[in-house]
Amino acid sequence: MPEPRVTFASFGAITAAGPDVSSLLAALRTNTSGLRANERFNSPRFQSNIVGAALRSSDDNPAYELANTALAEARKNLGALAIAPERIGFVLSTTKANIETLERLSDGRPCSERARRHLQPELLAEDLAFAHGARGPRQTISTACTSGTVALQQGAKLIQRGAADAVYVVGVDHLSAFVVAGFTALKAIDPVGSRPFDRERCGLSPGEAGAAIVLVRGDLAPAGIELIGWGSSNDANHMTGPSRDGSGLALAIRGALRTANLTATDIDYINVHGTGTPYNDAMEAAALRTIFGETCPPVSGQKGMLGHTLGAAGVVESIVCTLALREQFLPGTPRLSNIADGMPSSLVKEPCPTARLRHVLKLSTGFGGVNCALVLRHG
Amino acid sequence: MPVSKTELKTRIIEALNLQDITPEQIEDEAPLFGTGLGLDSIDALELVVMLEKHYGIIIKGIEEGGPAFRSVQALADFIDARRASTT
Amino acid sequence: MDKLVITASNIVNADDARTARLGTRFGRMDLMSQLALLAVEPFAPQFESIARERIAICLAARTSSLATDAEYWKGRDNTGGPSPTLFTYTLPSAALGEIAIRHRITGPPLCFVGSSEVLLPEAAELLRLREVDAAVCVSVNVVTPTLADWLALPNSASACAALLRTGDVAGRAVGEFDRDLEALCHYLGAQ
Repeated sequence: MPEPRVTFASFGAITAAGPDVSSLLAALRTNTSGLRANERFNSPRFQSNIVGAALRSSDDNPAYELANTALAEARKNLGALAIAPERIGFVLSTTKANIETLERLSDGRPCSERARRHLQPELLAEDLAFAHGARGPRQTISTACTSGTVALQQGAKLIQRGAADAVYVVGVDHLSAFVVAGFTALKAIDPVGSRPFDRERCGLSPGEAGAAIVLVRGDLAPAGIELIGWGSSNDANHMTGPSRDGSGLALAIRGALRTANLTATDIDYINVHGTGTPYNDAMEAAALRTIFGETCPPVSGQKGMLGHTLGAAGVVESIVCTLALREQFLPGTPRLSNIADGMPSSLVKEPCPTARLRHVLKLSTGFGGVNCALVLRHG
Repeated sequence: MPVSKTELKTRIIEALNLQDITPEQIEDEAPLFGTGLGLDSIDALELVVMLEKHYGIIIKGIEEGGPAFRSVQALADFIDARRASTT
Repeated sequence: MDKLVITASNIVNADDARTARLGTRFGRMDLMSQLALLAVEPFAPQFESIARERIAICLAARTSSLATDAEYWKGRDNTGGPSPTLFTYTLPSAALGEIAIRHRITGPPLCFVGSSEVLLPEAAELLRLREVDAAVCVSVNVVTPTLADWLALPNSASACAALLRTGDVAGRAVGEFDRDLEALCHYLGAQ
């Protein structure tokens, strides 16, 4: 395992499950889906109005509001840490930043100067970092739906090479007509709400979230959950269709296990990407078969609860993994009724306590054929 | 009146930005996907948009249009059949 | 560690994209992907001697995919809806995916938005840690008149690329202060 260690010192999240981490934990405990019909998407232009909304209403800058809320919670939970602002890095993960601005400008509707700035992801990162006193190295990551896990990997690398002592990793994307119309054009939305790994699954549900994790150099923080492995790869196959055999994702998983200096048998739980589209879920199942054979550890995914939150997904779902490790339970797979043929038989439908959760594997995949895998460890 | 296959080919070329391909080069029965023009699933969705825009035909799911996308001839027959059923 | 060298570099602009023909997919791509792909094209012979999973693609998209975003969203009221193809290019990493597909590169993808100054250091880090044997570094920027107006930015349509490798290969050594990929590519082009 690489040194120095990188600890998840604190985190915050605003999701379809509620405005903070405690509401997320409560929803995970009860397996309650946050997907709801939302009148903003009541139009034949959208395949479905069922989405994972986190904001009840919003002004012209929902991306900043989501990211800021999550980061404020993470910092509040952090407590006192004597790290100079210059030693605090900032990594933003987003696919569309404040795309609301583009919709307004296209329509000739008003928007504030600040919202206009935040259409540019790196300016959103700059303003968030400034507002929260992070003056160290800054990166803005946008590798489609793997952005969140890649951002965590980048944050960990900044700490490992001594460029920062702490890094705020923030993932954000907000619900927009822009994205929902796009997934409608791709006919990729499940009309009744996403059902990952289900026999009847036929698409994703769009979601929104802000999520923040504070990474701290191991010797500067109390023992806790550590990020010990990462690997990423490209399918080099197709822009939107994942490789059928899961070889790209398998390559990323091998990379993550190698960095963590572990073997497949060390993994106690897998948190999948699980969008609910037929191809994604089948591809993940194929990758898991390649790595774990017929003895796959427990698997679950939460996009049936939170929707697909794009740039936030990898960060939010890493928080889910952290809660699972801290509270020693297996999160469920909300909205999964009948496990489809070919899916791992170890899929966890309902949450359940477990006594031996030490190593968790987090997977994400995205458009362009990108894959990323992380390994988390309970200290 | 049956749909013009030359016009349909022109629409396909426009919708998919097929460089250096003329309508004459596309054979009526040649497969559009896989081999032939080598189109993929996104192209199929783009053709769904084209069919609604230019021919007023709405396809809800891609499976529904599946056989129609086999070739230009199949697509022309599909358009004719849809038009006949709505008039 | 082994010496870090730039073995090739290239700069392309919108005129190059207009006249280029790189297979049937090329015409369907957005300008950003076309530019990125063209910038990398001369490196192809070098990829032959490197395991494809040992090549990283590191891309910096100065203005994200905003030019394509605006283009896609113009089609929002079209009968039949906006273009699904254009939607797939409303991610800056789409250009990265196209490079990977064309050259069958399966190594780690990194896509940054904003200034390209993190690009070379991050690529160098991947090589230093021996995670890869080569890194394709691309910086691309497309600012259309609409975008220029909205964001008060100068019009732009260009991409520059460099191939970083380690080991016993000929090229220009990467120095500690090399940060600006664009300037470096200009400099190397002038040699």
